[in-house]
Amino acid sequence: MNKFSKTLPLLTAGLLTGSLLLSGCSTKSPEQASAPSAEQQDTTQAASLQINDPWAKAADKGMSAAFGTLRNTGQQPVELVKVTEEQHRSPVQLHEMTGSGTEMTMKEHQGPVEIKPGAEVELVPGGMHFMYMDLAKPLVASETSTLTLHFADGSSKAVDFPIRNYSGAKERYEDHAGMEDKHGNGEHGGH
Amino acid sequence: MAEQQPTVPSRRLVLGGSAAAALSGALVGFGAGRLDAPASAAAEPAQDPSDPADLSPYGAYQRGILEEPQTHGIFLGLDIQWPKAKDERRDRLRSLLRMLGEDAARLMSGDGVLADSEPEMASARGRLSITVGLSRDAAAQAKSTADLSMLEPLPEFSGDKLEPRFGQADLLVQFCGDDPTALAHALRAVRKNLTGLATVRFEQHGFTTPPGQAEHPHAFRNLFGQLDGIANPRTTAREGAVFGHGDEQSWLPGGTVLVLRRIRMDLERWDEVDRPGRDFALGRRQSDGSPLSGQHPDDPVDLSATTELGLPVIAGNAHVALAKPVQAAETMWRRGFSYTDGGESGLLFACFQRDARTAFVPVQRRLAASDAMNQWITHTGSGIYGILPGMSQEAQLGAALFAE
Repeated sequence: MNKFSKTLPLLTAGLLTGSLLLSGCSTKSPEQASAPSAEQQDTTQAASLQINDPWAKAADKGMSAAFGTLRNTGQQPVELVKVTEEQHRSPVQLHEMTGSGTEMTMKEHQGPVEIKPGAEVELVPGGMHFMYMDLAKPLVASETSTLTLHFADGSSKAVDFPIRNYSGAKERYEDHAGMEDKHGNGEHGGH
Repeated sequence: MAEQQPTVPSRRLVLGGSAAAALSGALVGFGAGRLDAPASAAAEPAQDPSDPADLSPYGAYQRGILEEPQTHGIFLGLDIQWPKAKDERRDRLRSLLRMLGEDAARLMSGDGVLADSEPEMASARGRLSITVGLSRDAAAQAKSTADLSMLEPLPEFSGDKLEPRFGQADLLVQFCGDDPTALAHALRAVRKNLTGLATVRFEQHGFTTPPGQAEHPHAFRNLFGQLDGIANPRTTAREGAVFGHGDEQSWLPGGTVLVLRRIRMDLERWDEVDRPGRDFALGRRQSDGSPLSGQHPDDPVDLSATTELGLPVIAGNAHVALAKPVQAAETMWRRGFSYTDGGESGLLFACFQRDARTAFVPVQRRLAASDAMNQWITHTGSGIYGILPGMSQEAQLGAALFAE
């Protein structure tokens, strides 16, 4: 089913156990971008990635967040490098939480997210999530937002995230002063 | 009977012919008389009323319609906050129904909805059903070929004292289940998801006898103490009355029409009535539901029976005399729930039928004009809803309204 055995460069060196593995790279390296493209492979990273229960938090403007469970159903690691959204015209970042209890803050995750074969990354309120940085159009409950997930092998996958009302996910936002200006109080948007 | 298979194999397979199947009767409380001949045990539905098997969210019909009533029922009526731009309303209705269908499917499968902070509460389903319908005006936003004339507002009936707070809503969500906690969670989850999309007009809670505890498998004691429901159609007669046949479908094939009436019952004045007067007004005995023209609950209501003095045994204005269908098209399937609310008692009368214009409306006209029970009841709420066809994993709730 998967003959894709050595197409990825060894970006995983230094990666640790656990479902969520972060590479040390802060940006996409040239090898990463080009590595598997010309090689024969029958399963792209996009095809290996399954997303369960995706949803996005309704918001009129400003910031919001999207959640779900990313599962690697393939035989090789999957590296998510970028997320884009066109319909509501917002930049999207991958965020993670730091701290604990009520003192938790979020910050942009640096580098790709690697998911080992068979492993899952859970994007949940209070944990890692996709972050809409500046919505030009509201995320209306009951509608969907299509996020495109881009992977290290150049493949991508468009996923519909149903939009739902949610009054949680109000984590404070760390060290992105520019974003606080847009949002006023440093919390995620949404109503 | 259409496939209404529960996701969990029915215990009936183990139990064999149920006690319920062995019994058949013909009691009536509010509503119509029974038209089908007493069914044989073999023809009884595969659903044992005492079997708490959970319900699959998928099928030709929505759940919460043909099944014997669960112990608790909640009717949530909402008015949709339409987008200002008229050309966005059709899409809004479609996405709203898609979300409701997804919520219903998840909750009926024992999962929390998306963005659910308490999904654990969904795991005990208790035969949860979530059933969705639309008013004529809301359905019209879909600009479909559905027969909206079947959803025209009900006429005014004499004696109605309707209150707008219990009146017609755009969107009706019926929640039924045996577990009040699972039901409360489902209600909350759906209400939360509809925030900003619709405002609640009413939330009416009712109850009936738990499965396995009823005196009769097809009847419950209403708050007057009457056995109500045995004259209801069963099996194929029920399915036909609710969804129609062949060329005679409801407003949408696989859909049906729900009439919801809130009927206040004056228990204090009913207390003043002695047993013979009560039985005379209903036309049946409070003791066991047997008609005054017979001895057993399943004896037919015989309006021609006379006393030794030549008087009718069942008065012409007795409830059963007027409620009895005079033709097949008047048959409806009543699936009501009693309520108590701040010292008030009554019945959340809910009936499903192919076309209310030939079923509920003519029957209610007769009852409103002269039912002997009228002096103890008042209709305070009313609405008519087009219940959508069932959904599948491929076809969202309401898909037929949006077929291109």
